Amino acid sequence: MQLNEPRPGTIRGALRAAACTLLAAGAATVPSNARAAAGDRWNLETATLIYGEKGGTTIFEPIFRVSRLYTNGQRLSAKLGFDTMTGASATGAMPSTRPQTYTTPSGNQQTTPAGKIPTRGFHDSRFSTDLAWEAPVGHLVKTNLGGHVSAETDYQSFGVNGTVSVELFQRLTTVSLGAGLNHDTVDPVGGTPQALGTGREDKGTHPKRVIDGMVGITRVLTRRWLVGLNVGATKEDGYLTEPYKVVSVVDPEDGEQVGTIAEKRPGKRERTSILSSSVYHFERDVLYLSHRYYHDSWGVRSQTIDGRYRLELNEGRYLQPHVRYYAQTAADFYTFGLHSGDDLPESASSDYRLGDMRSSTVGLKYGFPLASLPGEFSVRGEYIRQWGDQHPAGAVGAQRQLELYPTYNIGTLQLGYSVGF
Amino acid sequence: MARFRAMGSPCELLCDVDHATEVKDLAALAQFEAQRIERAFSRYLPGNIIARINQAAGTPVTVDDETAMLLDYASTCHRLSSGRFDITSGVLRRAWTFDGGALVPTPEQLRPLLELVGWERVDWQSPVLRLPAGMEIDLGGIGKEYAVDRAAALLGERTSNPFLVNFGGDLFASGLRRNGLPWIVGVDDPEQTGLEAVGQLRLERGGLATSGDARRFVLYQGRRLGHILDPRTGWPVEGAPRAITVAAATCLEAGTLATLAYLRGAEAESFLIEEGATYWLA
Repeated sequence: MQLNEPRPGTIRGALRAAACTLLAAGAATVPSNARAAAGDRWNLETATLIYGEKGGTTIFEPIFRVSRLYTNGQRLSAKLGFDTMTGASATGAMPSTRPQTYTTPSGNQQTTPAGKIPTRGFHDSRFSTDLAWEAPVGHLVKTNLGGHVSAETDYQSFGVNGTVSVELFQRLTTVSLGAGLNHDTVDPVGGTPQALGTGREDKGTHPKRVIDGMVGITRVLTRRWLVGLNVGATKEDGYLTEPYKVVSVVDPEDGEQVGTIAEKRPGKRERTSILSSSVYHFERDVLYLSHRYYHDSWGVRSQTIDGRYRLELNEGRYLQPHVRYYAQTAADFYTFGLHSGDDLPESASSDYRLGDMRSSTVGLKYGFPLASLPGEFSVRGEYIRQWGDQHPAGAVGAQRQLELYPTYNIGTLQLGYSVGF
Repeated sequence: MARFRAMGSPCELLCDVDHATEVKDLAALAQFEAQRIERAFSRYLPGNIIARINQAAGTPVTVDDETAMLLDYASTCHRLSSGRFDITSGVLRRAWTFDGGALVPTPEQLRPLLELVGWERVDWQSPVLRLPAGMEIDLGGIGKEYAVDRAAALLGERTSNPFLVNFGGDLFASGLRRNGLPWIVGVDDPEQTGLEAVGQLRLERGGLATSGDARRFVLYQGRRLGHILDPRTGWPVEGAPRAITVAAATCLEAGTLATLAYLRGAEAESFLIEEGATYWLA
């Protein structure tokens, strides 16, 4: 018998089809189902995050993620999120020895008692969705393509991103290259504040563009140990100012606030970060450690140390303690208050997120299955404390008596459920 | 984790469920399926369908559905490999002793055996098989991988927890581990099997199997000839990597692809690349 030589490159596909036929047929001949071994798989994850600052913002954020893993290695996933945020956030104005009254962009008045940090009440909802597609190309290369859209009252964001990763050296090393583009639009409620002034300009939208690039390498060191290094760079330009944040103007002699002006940030920001990570697998437990160094062209430098330990209990349950420490230096233009009579600087902000600050987090996650349902449930609680220098060296007069940097106590609770089918 | 022996190999089941009884139950299920397949299809056991076919002496044998599907699969592999993969090639082993020595058969010893090899001489009209007298079939080349996938299918029905089935180095992983990480599989040094793993590879979901000549070979004129024979010549395949490990959707696909690659000899790697396979060579 003369055998026809099969066309090169078609053998694997024909073998896969033959193997699937044989295994699926097994279902009919013996009581079993081969689809579990050979078919596509779905995964559904849902999580609800509740975030609360003492006397500040509350966020309620349910998320759904559905992904489908195909037998050819492709994976398609979609995420849907909807947050509602209510509460109060610091305006940037310093506390005063007298009560302060602040008019919100929508015309309401809010009064802050003496000695307290002025805040602005708000309520907003944010809708976000993203789509990601992962596909292997040949046997050593994997590509990832994604896009996202999010919208809230005064902010819209659109983005696309892509990653290519290549496995090298007997597949023990993975090198990844990624890039992303984002186009955001800011449309401040009640018009755009006049930068470092008190007036408002016409309503109008302001663009913000973000380009980022990433190169990463992960390496399997031993059967138990995986390490990784990631370097990322981001370039932002456009309207980077926070439209609702203000800066206090104080009397240079007695340190009392004489008024507030809208903040202003530079129109460009270049960020760089280096993340090193390690995952160590014990007989059952897993230890995750990471360190991140960050700096940007605004003068912010930060370090983050993060550690998690997954402790396996019996019956599929686990406990995962989490600790994190974060320290950052202030942006060059960060100030507690400008002195009246001085020339206005190029940029100024009193946003506490750009100040000299530390934060520490302790948390615990508990994962467990339920006998009556497939999949895994989890509950995670975290406590975050964030603080800075309340009595900075440059304080004058009354400023010395006030706590100039707010201390935040934040609690989060997350409930999760994931199931594969 | 639970260990047991089946199909002449050490077997293990790793499962991310720590309730000892559940792992034990699952392992019992896997072992039961492995032993069922071994009893049904091993050419070393008397009275099973393989023995009936091999002893039929030229008379037709009607086979059951599962055997018919396995024969269809073997027939497809024969066609896809242009005759290199052949379940009738087992008789050639009568002429070879792969004990690390230097004894090779003469052409006179091989010629009559080659007359008994060739799937194309077999009359297979499912479910009826007629094997010419003197010929034999052996499903050993696919049996263990098939057992891994079958066991995995049964386990997948019983548990939604991630697991890894390992029958003597042929594996199937059901998905990422509960901690979100892939399974890490150690690869033996083909020179010193059983010692410290020389490499690690990550397996998320699907099958993994190895084809190679690590342990059984003859030394002939300074060449090391492995125990995998080319049924078209009766001689060991030469020039192939010592071990070819392939990952695929199922263990059966992985094992067959690894064997077909090995049978290409020196062209094993170019074959794997051409077919877009995920592979490791040693």
